[in-house]
Amino acid sequence: MTVAVSLEHREAALTHGLSRYGRPAAIGLLVLALGFLTVYPLAMLLYGSIHSTPPGMAGEFNSAGYRALLAPDNLQALANTALISLVKTGLSLALAILMAWIVARTDTPGRGVLEILITLPFFIPPILTATAWAMLGNKQVGTINLAWRWITGSDGGLIDVYSYGGIVWHMMQYATPFIFLFVVDAFRAMDPSLEEASRMSGASRWQTFWRVTFALMLPVTTSAFILSFIRGMESFESAVFFGTPVNIKVLTTQIFDMITQRAQPDYQAATAMGFASLVLMGLLLVLQGRLLRGRSFTTVTGKAYAPNVTRLGPWRWLTFAICFAFFLLTVVLPVGQLLLSSFFQFFGFYQIDMLTLEHYRSVWANDEFWHAFGNTMLLGVCGATATMILGGIIGYISTRTTWPGRKLIDVLAWLPWMMPGMVLGIGFLWGFATLPHWMPIYGTLWALLLAYMALGTPVAVRVTSGAYAQIARDIEECSRVHGANWGQTMLRILVALAWPAFAVGWVLIFFGIMRELSASILLYVPDTQVMSVVMLKMWNSGKPEDVSVVGLIMLALVLLFRWVQLRFIKRRISTL
Amino acid sequence: MPGVTLKGVGRRFGALKAVDSIDLAVEHGEFVTLLGPSGCGKTTTLRMVAGLERNDSGVIAIGDRVVSDAAADLFVPPDHRKLGMVFQSYAIWPHMTVFDNVAYPLSVRHVARAEIRARVMAALKLVEMEAYAGRPAPALSGGQQQRVAIARALVFEPEVLLLDEPLSNLDARLRAQMGDEFRALQRRLKITTLYVTHDQEEAMALSDRVVVMDKGRVLQVGAPEEVYHRPASRTVAAFFGTPNFIEARVTASRANGRDHVLAIEGAGMRGDCRAAEAHEPGDAVLVMIRPEDVTLDSAGPLSWQGTVVDGVFRGPRRTLTIEAQGRRFTVECRATRAASVGDTVTLSVDADNAWAVRP
Repeated sequence: MTVAVSLEHREAALTHGLSRYGRPAAIGLLVLALGFLTVYPLAMLLYGSIHSTPPGMAGEFNSAGYRALLAPDNLQALANTALISLVKTGLSLALAILMAWIVARTDTPGRGVLEILITLPFFIPPILTATAWAMLGNKQVGTINLAWRWITGSDGGLIDVYSYGGIVWHMMQYATPFIFLFVVDAFRAMDPSLEEASRMSGASRWQTFWRVTFALMLPVTTSAFILSFIRGMESFESAVFFGTPVNIKVLTTQIFDMITQRAQPDYQAATAMGFASLVLMGLLLVLQGRLLRGRSFTTVTGKAYAPNVTRLGPWRWLTFAICFAFFLLTVVLPVGQLLLSSFFQFFGFYQIDMLTLEHYRSVWANDEFWHAFGNTMLLGVCGATATMILGGIIGYISTRTTWPGRKLIDVLAWLPWMMPGMVLGIGFLWGFATLPHWMPIYGTLWALLLAYMALGTPVAVRVTSGAYAQIARDIEECSRVHGANWGQTMLRILVALAWPAFAVGWVLIFFGIMRELSASILLYVPDTQVMSVVMLKMWNSGKPEDVSVVGLIMLALVLLFRWVQLRFIKRRISTL
Repeated sequence: MPGVTLKGVGRRFGALKAVDSIDLAVEHGEFVTLLGPSGCGKTTTLRMVAGLERNDSGVIAIGDRVVSDAAADLFVPPDHRKLGMVFQSYAIWPHMTVFDNVAYPLSVRHVARAEIRARVMAALKLVEMEAYAGRPAPALSGGQQQRVAIARALVFEPEVLLLDEPLSNLDARLRAQMGDEFRALQRRLKITTLYVTHDQEEAMALSDRVVVMDKGRVLQVGAPEEVYHRPASRTVAAFFGTPNFIEARVTASRANGRDHVLAIEGAGMRGDCRAAEAHEPGDAVLVMIRPEDVTLDSAGPLSWQGTVVDGVFRGPRRTLTIEAQGRRFTVECRATRAASVGDTVTLSVDADNAWAVRP
């Protein structure tokens, strides 16, 4: 008996000792790792912006980089960026709210399917639709313009995608589903009695919409607007495809141009521009915090209610058509174009005798592509797994513990949220160049992996925290009291309950890595090329038909993952 | 012997003393209820015994074994305390069947499969849920979840059973039934039980002893009848029902058994009452009179003339509000006693039913 007791005591003392010294050590390690992923590139960005020579070379400190920002060229790029992002966000918001309302609150036929179709474009890599639209909307040989000429017999073109309008339209294909995902759940999760109370107080349907429904959704809408605006400012693909050829410059393409396209790369100015845009986005996020301070989201979260459904009568076919048209324009048309151009000798010349499988053979035999494919898969699997583990731990600490230092961890994990891929790319470029020689990260896949992890961490934290938040604390404590230790509880209760969310997060991050272009393009070396980089290079070297084939392979992967996600995972959870 | 001992146990949340130095000894096999309004620290106390919350002062022992000693920096994590617990939300794991839920405390301790099966079925039988073993947990009603939670808490034959407002999510009828069943089960198994509730009737019906708490402190510990009839203070008295309090002054005091009999006088009355301690003549006291202890229509030593100002029919009884000497009395009487507003009545109370506390 006494032996047993003393053993128990020793064991208890041991666990206690672990929690006493293990906890600060674990927190310290986590803060270090996170700091390396987020604070380090940020600090190196600042360092690089006042450093006169390219990364890794001796130089002096001056403000030439920031002075260069005031060149008319750069100011023009800033104005373009803001204007394009504002216009696309405004248009996308209106469209997204309309479609969210249609899907969540009307009796439009096929709403469940429409919801999947509307959000589908979000999962297609932008580089893929960009190539497709470049072939659809080219003024001379674009398929849409060809069809227009054939139908009307005129000489002119209907659209020209190489324009401000083209850039905005391409961004909208991503911004609309993004905002839609935000607001549709807000529409759906609203307690119908809130609206019924308004109607019973004598408000009309229209008054109720504005004064209750819309007012309750305002916080969600505002944050969707600001986040989408920031994403617009970070966007690279749309502008590099449709803006650069006609000399429409935005911040990201300007940075890209300064570093990679000039005979004498201007690292300092590019870095200064990156840091300046980072500050700008930080300010926007602060603004968002200010706007939303004190606003409660609680009325529109939590339980799933059966929402009020508006009967539209014959109008429901119009609303159906609006949603379906969005799907046609953003998915069917681009994918159709890729299919079309992959089978013809040259895109734009669609005659029977030009049909060929040559492009498939050419891609099949392209070692550079398969090497990049392998890299992307490896980075995708390792990156998504590592990021989810990191995010799962951070999410646990910030939602489930009261450890000192968890606020710091939370903030560190959120930092990349306001860093465009391109800016993070420069930060890491400086960071890797400054590391001691025994840490040769630059030029290896580690460089890309670390950048992807930094970019994915906010998503991973968000997904896992959301999942933990749905699991009542009791559920976890109950396991501890009944004899399970922390590890057993974590595996058998928390992970067992939250794995669908983990799987969703994994897939999201995998998608993110597969489509990532703007950081990769700065951090790759010939040996570590990834799929998106190879696509851009192929496109620039004038092989749009081969790009179509690569695009289709990428699309097949996306559809496969999305199908798995919807089929096996979504069944198990209500959110995401 | 598995009992629970708390010595000087306290817990702060920031500047707030959630639990302020509590002493309590729960005997082996005893059913003790922590009772108090929300925020009084009763749940925090329970969670400290469970090891889910760390006490920042004092010592907690389960049986002979110290599980937490703030001064010695000793803290045994919850999974090493060999407890069973029923949570307010039941905390039934939704991804497991009823059987797996109940088997959990055994399987995490690597008990052999055959033994698990036997013990789980025995525990389910105890709560009459053996027919539901294969059901997925979310497909249970509130009362069934409650039973499963109890079976899970008992399956490991824990040294102490902890219950955190387990009946509060049930409707009134089911609450009474589950309460009775649970009490019978506890008597049969003779398991040391610590129970938290804010419901005074529940506390009195179930417990061997009640611990009345308020603002992180223990106000009184005693058998249900003791705390009901001989409250230590006005706060304790007011926690059970809606007693009447009358200010009075002591004129004489004498011991009588373990009580003291006080002679008192106040506005329009003079008579005797009881108290737990001796008083000096001239002391001010508050005399507690429970509504059901007031007799109508007969004059006694403590009595008043009054007018009925309100009457509520409650089925088994009638509640009257009577104004006498500028003071309002709440009186419970037979439902058949007719009383209309404006009637003049006489109220009287036995010395045995008048209890004095310090104001």
